[in-house]
Amino acid sequence: MNNLFLVIDATNKGSFSKLTRHRMPGALPFGAKYRLIDFALSNCKNSLVTNVAIFPYGNYRSLSDHIGSGDRWDLNRRKDGIFILPPKNLNLTYEDSISFQRMYEHLEYFVRSSQEYVLVSPANIVWNVDYNVILHHHLVQGADITEVLNASNERLRTFLLSKKTLLEYIEHFDSIKFRNLTEVFDYALGLRKTRYVFEEPSFIIDTPEALFRANMNLLDVQLKGQIFKQNRPIFSKETMSSPSRYGSKSFVKHSLVASGAVVNGSVFSSIIGRKATIHEGAHVHHSVVMNQCIIEKGATVEYAILDKETVVKAGAVVKGTLEHIFVSEKKQLVQTAEEITVLQLAVECVPFIKTGGLADVVGALSKELSKQGIQSIVMLPLFTKIKEKYQLFLELIAEQAILYDGVLRRASLYSYNDKQTMFYFIENFDFFERNNIYGYEDDGDRFAFFTKASLAFLDVLSKKPDIIHVHDWHLGLTPLLLKYSPNYSHIKTLLTIHNIEYQGIHSSDILRKVGLESLVYHGHQINYLETGLQHATRISTVSPTYRDELKYEYYSKNLVDLINRRDRDFYGILNGLTDQSNPKTDLSIQQRYEKSNVKSAKHKNKKFLQETMHLIVADDMFVIGMVGRIVEQKGFDIIFGAFDQMMQNDKIQFVLLGTGDAYYEQRLRQLEERYPGRVKMNLSFDATDPSFIYSGADVFLMPSRYEPCGTSQMIALKYGTIPIVRQTGGLNDTVEQYNPVTKKGNGFKFYNYDSRDLVFQIQNAYQYFAFQPEDWTRLVRNAMDASFSFETTATHYAELYRMM
Amino acid sequence: MNHPIVAMILVGGKGTRLKELTKEIAKPAVSFGAKYRLIDFTLSSLTNSQLDVVGIVTQYEPYELMRYIGRGASWDLDTIDGGITFLTPYAKNGDVLWQKGTAHAVAQYFNFVKEHQARQVLILSGDQIYKMDYQNLVREHLLNNRQLTIAATEVPWNEAHRFGILDVDASSRVVGFEEKPKQPKHNLASMGIYLFNTEVLESLLQGANTAESIDFGQNVIPSAIYGGMNVGVYRFKGYWRDVGTIESLYEANMDMIDDQDFLGLNSSKNLPVYSKSLNLPPHIVLEDGEIKASIIADGCVIDGRVFHSTVGYSCIIKKNASVSRCVILPGCVIGEGAIIENAIVNHNVKVPDHFVFRPKQVTILDTIPQGGLVYE
Repeated sequence: MNNLFLVIDATNKGSFSKLTRHRMPGALPFGAKYRLIDFALSNCKNSLVTNVAIFPYGNYRSLSDHIGSGDRWDLNRRKDGIFILPPKNLNLTYEDSISFQRMYEHLEYFVRSSQEYVLVSPANIVWNVDYNVILHHHLVQGADITEVLNASNERLRTFLLSKKTLLEYIEHFDSIKFRNLTEVFDYALGLRKTRYVFEEPSFIIDTPEALFRANMNLLDVQLKGQIFKQNRPIFSKETMSSPSRYGSKSFVKHSLVASGAVVNGSVFSSIIGRKATIHEGAHVHHSVVMNQCIIEKGATVEYAILDKETVVKAGAVVKGTLEHIFVSEKKQLVQTAEEITVLQLAVECVPFIKTGGLADVVGALSKELSKQGIQSIVMLPLFTKIKEKYQLFLELIAEQAILYDGVLRRASLYSYNDKQTMFYFIENFDFFERNNIYGYEDDGDRFAFFTKASLAFLDVLSKKPDIIHVHDWHLGLTPLLLKYSPNYSHIKTLLTIHNIEYQGIHSSDILRKVGLESLVYHGHQINYLETGLQHATRISTVSPTYRDELKYEYYSKNLVDLINRRDRDFYGILNGLTDQSNPKTDLSIQQRYEKSNVKSAKHKNKKFLQETMHLIVADDMFVIGMVGRIVEQKGFDIIFGAFDQMMQNDKIQFVLLGTGDAYYEQRLRQLEERYPGRVKMNLSFDATDPSFIYSGADVFLMPSRYEPCGTSQMIALKYGTIPIVRQTGGLNDTVEQYNPVTKKGNGFKFYNYDSRDLVFQIQNAYQYFAFQPEDWTRLVRNAMDASFSFETTATHYAELYRMM
Repeated sequence: MNHPIVAMILVGGKGTRLKELTKEIAKPAVSFGAKYRLIDFTLSSLTNSQLDVVGIVTQYEPYELMRYIGRGASWDLDTIDGGITFLTPYAKNGDVLWQKGTAHAVAQYFNFVKEHQARQVLILSGDQIYKMDYQNLVREHLLNNRQLTIAATEVPWNEAHRFGILDVDASSRVVGFEEKPKQPKHNLASMGIYLFNTEVLESLLQGANTAESIDFGQNVIPSAIYGGMNVGVYRFKGYWRDVGTIESLYEANMDMIDDQDFLGLNSSKNLPVYSKSLNLPPHIVLEDGEIKASIIADGCVIDGRVFHSTVGYSCIIKKNASVSRCVILPGCVIGEGAIIENAIVNHNVKVPDHFVFRPKQVTILDTIPQGGLVYE
């Protein structure tokens, strides 16, 4: 018997993209025959811990399937045993680690457990540890809380404390300022804290790259021996595969091969999972091939993680690199890399016309796709502004009469050849010869007509698209129209949501107008985005976190059911930065800089900013900057709530540039008056140069209520200005909380949409700025290291196209 | 609980012909095909045929077998009202009831059959390699209203003398039986798999307790056939091998290597053959490892050459060692530069570095001979 019980934190989702679409990280296959959770559970058995609770998030079918009754780990007990404690409140979104709120949902479990001490540890660590040694350390040190680190000082998110202490946090989760044990350890005062360093190999696995590296480590015999010990075996679910079979043509070196595998090709430095088949003439190297994959004749796989049941067809080539591991999706079919043609339909695109970020994405994507060997075509309406600027370069390709609303309307197709990408424009006097892109009463008709016309012009394209990629609600009818088109119903569609708040709700009469009278439509209105989401082959949005958030009604509102229904076909791909500004080349700033001279340059730029803004000029001032639209979405409600408390620290200055909602602007003016010399609001878009703020501020504030992707925070990072953001959407995917132990992270973030949490992180950032200059230097350097190239974004889209 | 069919697996024989391989373990616990034990095939067939009341009749070295099978969870046989029961010799009124022949063992435990109110009793043997859906046998039995059905398979004529050979008429009724005939007239061999109606078996076993020795092949089957009972045959097609000898065990291992689709083991569509998992990591092939046409179990470390061999779990093949046409049983270490050919290397044998063992005929390598390092 044992005085310790274990809480396995399986709430962390990591950033695995495809690998965790149908399972949680704890259920990820590892080491050819294991699942990550096997290590935590085997450590329990080997440490004689008999009371274990697993807190999973969302999709835990695969996990519970694997664990069963727990008898493989001797956890099927009369007293205690294994408990899977699912989330009760499904509206809680994902967090980095288990919150006290989440534990409170199962308070009874903690109260009822008879052991005095509890270890909280994630499900995704690969290690072979005796938990009692940690308990011993905790007791000898007389600590209140012990954190476990690995030999390279990485935090393992593993904490040991007494049940009594933990219960106090759980029971008061709604009145304390700590959400989880990491925060307690980092910020709580009056606790005796110790660290236990686990010297043997241990890997925390939260990205595909980490999964890859940990797998490769198993090929080191000595390291492998420290994880798979004879006297402390790792137990796993029993399966019935036959022993591994090698054919006479096999050539295998430096690899781990699980039972049931059939190898007839060549395999180097790879992990081959159960029942995987490597056919004659296939080459696999530096790859993790999971269960039941099939690598057909002559195929090549390198630097890849192939999820279960992936089939690499004969002759196909799968190539990743050490930095960018190729990851396949479960049951994916990888074909020979034929050239594919992708047509993007959008209403704005850089460099032709732009009102917002959408234009940047379409433009940058079309360019990058051509670089990656994809035939890239873009089709746009020929708006007046484009016509004026590009008339001389446009070539008339075809003319057609398009039947719309019972009337034949003339449409002309022009082309513009930009080296690799082919741009087409559709001219129509009635609908597109206007000064603005949006904002007309007949927007519904205009974009429906554009959709219909662009599909009609497919006939004249020399190269027919394999995939049509449409953006936002404007093109929402495309998948439906395509389905009913006589010649093109086989073309696959991808719909990208840039912001779900704009859905395009119009009269359902539009269906009649485009010629789909036969579709009986209930109701008077048609929702363009909803229609698109229903019929598109796949759907995507602009960041992985926003993708996850859209599963909750708070974010996706009326479309929540539909989004959840399409969950399997829904992807989150982070936008890269299209903005070319760079502190090294930015001519508008006082002193240009890069990583090597950032410190001195920032001083000068800060001084310049303070002078320009008529603020008190002092280097020890902590300048908080903000650039963007002044609307509710950007978090102004919590800024107002936090402002006075934040300004109590008289070393804080605040500079803003933006325009928007009159109500917010008025309140901002009042604040400016209240804090002379410390606050400057520039309330029109040309009031000052945003670069002054990016280069001169110390931190960049972005407490958005929601943020599909966001670009300002990426620019701020590039300028070495530390972002303080709310943990939502693209902000969560680009900003990593600074960790003083590992010295990793590039900013600060908070979870609750709450003034108190905002103030807490601002104070936290200030502590580093004012009192830990070394950490601050490190933060700035980390921030400037972050790269958000659009090339990576395009690679992800290209992978998605090829998968369709 | 009423179970229409009770299965009894006879594992009593000493298996002396397997020599050192059975010196400490019962024959059905002998390893086969790198990761299996002989008994796996029978137990898996039972679970795949939805038969879950199983008596295992055993008397020699039962410990290893009992420990391996446990409650039968690995084969999904640990059901509440069925499951596996070990039927071992016991003392009654001061006499130790040592089992005298295969049928005697069944007679001793006839209460086991009665307790389950079985209508039929399936008699199986625990040391054969095959995969059978016993329900097909049962269907044929019931369809033809047999009192006894014998599973049989055609064997090569030159081997027929090793088996009990059946003489069958046009209606698949067995009319004659010859145990190990010197000059076989047919080649349809009894597989030692019998389905009896319970009352028929009970009557045939009358007096078994007093007889000197009573055996299915020798006594029970002939007296059923020649006693005018309705005895049918179930013709089995597919791989079947009785591994009673070193040679047949070795050949079955080689069959497994040569036939890519041996018993459908590598196909997920087939009924699986279950085996007890040992919590071993996957095997690893190191820089100098080279494996061709072989079968390797979990937990091995391969740094030498393996050709046309089966290698049991947790074996270590060191650098420059070479293993060809061998059956390496679990837990062996083949030392650096050692050369082993044509051998069955017994459990846990540690072959010293540079040891050479190349017999002309398949030989068991059990204890390492003292003296020189070369045996050819």
